[in-house]
Amino acid sequence: MAKVEREATVGEATLREFLHDMLLIRRFEERVEDRFRAGELPGFLHVAIGQEAIAVGVSRAMEEDDIFASTHRAHGHTLARGSNPRRVMAELYGKVEGVSHGYGGSMHLYDIERGNYGANAVIGGGLPAVTGAGLAFKMRNEPRVAVAFFGDGATNIGTFHESLNLAQLWRTKTVFVCENNHWAESTPGWQHSPVWNDMSKRALAFDMRSLKVDGQDVEAVYAAALEALEYARSGQGPVFLDIPTYRMHGHYIGDPQVYRSKEDREAAAFHDPIPRLRERLGLSDEEFEAFDEEAHRVVEDALEFAKNGTDPKPEDALKNVYA
Amino acid sequence: MASEVKLPRLGQGMESGTVTKWLKNEGDAVAKGEPLYEIDTDKVTQEVESDFAGVLLKIALREGEAPVGQTIAFIGEPGEEVAAPPEPEPEPAPQPEKVSDTAVSDTPVAAPPAPATSNGRVKASPLARRLARERGIDIATLRGTGPDGRIVARDVEGAQAAPAAPAAVPSGDIESIPLTNIRKTIARRLTAAWQAPVFQLTVTADMTRANELVARARELNPDVRITVTDLLAKVCAQALMRHRDVNVQYSEDALLRFPNANIGIAVAAPQGLIVPVVRGVERLSLAEVAVARGDIVGRARDNKLTAQDLEDGTFTISNLGMFGIEQFVAVLNPPQAAILAVGATVDTPVARDGAVEIRPLLTLTLTVDHRAVDGAEGADFLRTVKTFVEDPALAL
Amino acid sequence: MPELTYREAVRDGIAQAMRADDSVFIMGEDIAEMGGSMGVTQGLLDEFGPERVRNTPISEMAIVGAGIGAAMAGMRPIVEIMYEDFLTLSLEQIVNQAAKHRYMSGGQLTVPLTIRTQGGAGWSPGAQHAQQLEAWLVHIPGLKVAYPSTPEDVRGLLWTSIHDDNPVVLFEHRLLYPVKGEVPEQLEPIPFGKARVVREGTDVTVIAIGPLVHRALDAAKQAEEDGISVEIVDPRTLQPLDEEMLVASVKKTNRAVVAHEAVTRMGFGAEVAAVLQHQAFDYLDAPIERVGAKFTPLAFAPVMEQYVVPHAEDVLAAIRRTVGK
Repeated sequence: MAKVEREATVGEATLREFLHDMLLIRRFEERVEDRFRAGELPGFLHVAIGQEAIAVGVSRAMEEDDIFASTHRAHGHTLARGSNPRRVMAELYGKVEGVSHGYGGSMHLYDIERGNYGANAVIGGGLPAVTGAGLAFKMRNEPRVAVAFFGDGATNIGTFHESLNLAQLWRTKTVFVCENNHWAESTPGWQHSPVWNDMSKRALAFDMRSLKVDGQDVEAVYAAALEALEYARSGQGPVFLDIPTYRMHGHYIGDPQVYRSKEDREAAAFHDPIPRLRERLGLSDEEFEAFDEEAHRVVEDALEFAKNGTDPKPEDALKNVYA
Repeated sequence: MASEVKLPRLGQGMESGTVTKWLKNEGDAVAKGEPLYEIDTDKVTQEVESDFAGVLLKIALREGEAPVGQTIAFIGEPGEEVAAPPEPEPEPAPQPEKVSDTAVSDTPVAAPPAPATSNGRVKASPLARRLARERGIDIATLRGTGPDGRIVARDVEGAQAAPAAPAAVPSGDIESIPLTNIRKTIARRLTAAWQAPVFQLTVTADMTRANELVARARELNPDVRITVTDLLAKVCAQALMRHRDVNVQYSEDALLRFPNANIGIAVAAPQGLIVPVVRGVERLSLAEVAVARGDIVGRARDNKLTAQDLEDGTFTISNLGMFGIEQFVAVLNPPQAAILAVGATVDTPVARDGAVEIRPLLTLTLTVDHRAVDGAEGADFLRTVKTFVEDPALAL
Repeated sequence: MPELTYREAVRDGIAQAMRADDSVFIMGEDIAEMGGSMGVTQGLLDEFGPERVRNTPISEMAIVGAGIGAAMAGMRPIVEIMYEDFLTLSLEQIVNQAAKHRYMSGGQLTVPLTIRTQGGAGWSPGAQHAQQLEAWLVHIPGLKVAYPSTPEDVRGLLWTSIHDDNPVVLFEHRLLYPVKGEVPEQLEPIPFGKARVVREGTDVTVIAIGPLVHRALDAAKQAEEDGISVEIVDPRTLQPLDEEMLVASVKKTNRAVVAHEAVTRMGFGAEVAAVLQHQAFDYLDAPIERVGAKFTPLAFAPVMEQYVVPHAEDVLAAIRRTVGK
């Protein structure tokens, strides 16, 4: 197990792009929360506030042809990989212009052109497919990697174990990204996993290579991801990324978090990755404002687009069942 | 003292009736106005309500014919003595002549029909029901050979088109079918009609506009089955209002000229020819005529007409077009002065403006009682009918 | 025409597909050197090598799930689930993932995955190795389901399944593997949704799948001696179902029996009966009969096992009930 320290290997221009992306995700999620509370959004929504560094760090490290599958908390990954914010917002509003054309919603965002093979509402449900895609890349000798995003909660389910086992056995081109925010909905890590504080032990059980990195440091995440992807891409085997992070808000929008102490929430806020990056870049108020305004602008534009989008026809429900 | 239930006169000209079924048993309580028994007159079978309240003490005539006025039952207080008048021997319902048994054919044995029922519902397979429907067979008269007495397809296929006669039908002998009351009545009335001095007039009408009108009316009234007969009834009613002297009934002393056109529709019901009446057709819309006609024809076929349905007709339409008959002469329906015989609409080549066109032509034949209406009047009326049929807008 | 056993026909179908297309590969438990617990994949490892004929750990979720992922990434995997009963372990992946990816993505994805499995009673396999679960799978929109009963059908339908862009579950039956049958010289793909008339008749239509097709044939021969003319139709694919042909046959004969080895209650036969009742209502001269296993898990003792599963006599009895003889 290797711990990747923050290295000043990423240029400032790239870091600024990271900030742009992370702020976009942050403002997008905040606006989604706000619109949900206003009663405009149907269904369940899970925001990734506090976990933006992982989404951006890993996504930016991926190559164009790499693919990924995500969890129910997928907006960050989706935006970080370059899906058009307008189309993501439109999907949340159930419009035809949405990335899944209204068929999926927040937990089933797909964008094949951006290598997004789907968010998943079943915990661990997408993991076996990521092993399978990694297998296909290996069989065809393609320099592509399949990446799975999941949380600590998923490390207990059968699909997690079967997927890691098979991936390591067949040395598939897969990277397993564990976003360990120490909460499985309302159940704290110590209550659901014997190895909650050191998820890399999970990888060890399968003799899988693992890397641990601070999830609130986007630079470090980026570096670790690059290393993991390179390894997997070479066909030597899959890599497990153990990334502790903080979930700053509740499990779902509207979650009152009665199960969580005030201290815990404050600690999470303290580890907000965005001010950290801002400090790292040494931005003034004005400079940061400029980034923030841009983020707000894109989000408002996306919102406007989504609200004016087209509702699917009711009979459209009958399409797409079979190819 | 107990009240006597006497056989009532239910319609003009009714002399007797046949009690067919009691709806109450001896000892049952009866309320005034409650249906008490069923009676078969020479026209209809109908329920008769009780005129008295009390207990049905005795049924004097269970089944059979009795003259109007005869006591058939007693209603009173429980325990009351019933003056038992010597019961006139009830004429039993005419029995079919015994015919000697010969070799029975191999069609399913027609035992007295005992249809399998569950709660009054006939047990029959969907296929059997459909076949019966298509062939005009009353499924309730069939005997089922399927499980639990279910009527199945082979039972329908083996049945005749008309309900089976009660007795076994051996092959090779002449059957003697006794006349029902209705048959006797028809015979009597039409013999009288034949003796009336009648003349017949025939016209041919171009049905193009009439057919369009009926089609359009159907579109506008999707829940009602509007037919050509309905249109003809309506048109005749309008014509009768313009030729009031044809809208009459003939009696020995006077012509009864009616204010409304009450059009009789001749129906071939299972029990025989019957002519129920749609009243006041001149003030009904085409859809209303269709609804009324559908109702009385349906009830005629189910043998559920009342005496009132048969009264006060001033004109009758008899339509044999559905049998492909092109032209015929209907027998007068006295005391009405006229009856219209309607044939089939046939696509016919006609000369028009020097060219030959194919037109749907309908032949109408009017039979008129000369004692009531003269030739010119009758012809004038028929010409109006033809005009209205060819251009229904003119009837408005 | 050449003859193959059902088992050989499956093997031949897989081999031909793998020869024709590199993206076709097969994975499952014990399918490589051992050639599968039912011997279906014998010889394939030798011809195609371990990359394309993969033994897996005992991980039904991962087997099916990896198949899903590989399919989404452009391969045409065939996964073998050793016993139909073990489908239950992978149902989450089949039902929540494979069946729904295309729909949830708004049509962006296809999952051209074929899942082969076998099941059924015979030789006392016990309750957890003998189930017939096709009724579960036909209930899931997004899945296609096939259950061929002859060597020709299984080879032709397997080919179609592999090349269909939808996830397909193809059921085989252990008692069918040794059954011989004629197959066309050239493999002929059989389309989904096309039933086969196994035997023509006029008095009653028996709609049967899997081993019941053969048992129905036995029953039909006996019925013939009593003057009952039995028509047998094999739907071959359960989803899509050739309703048109089934209804047409019942409209012709006016009577129907639906037969499968699966438990009668709430089974696939119930759906067929409902379809027939609805579309051929005025043509039915008798209630529709269903033949299937009694409502119990499968006992171990042979006498009990035999008691529960449906035999030719049960089909014959049902036929008799419909014609009332």
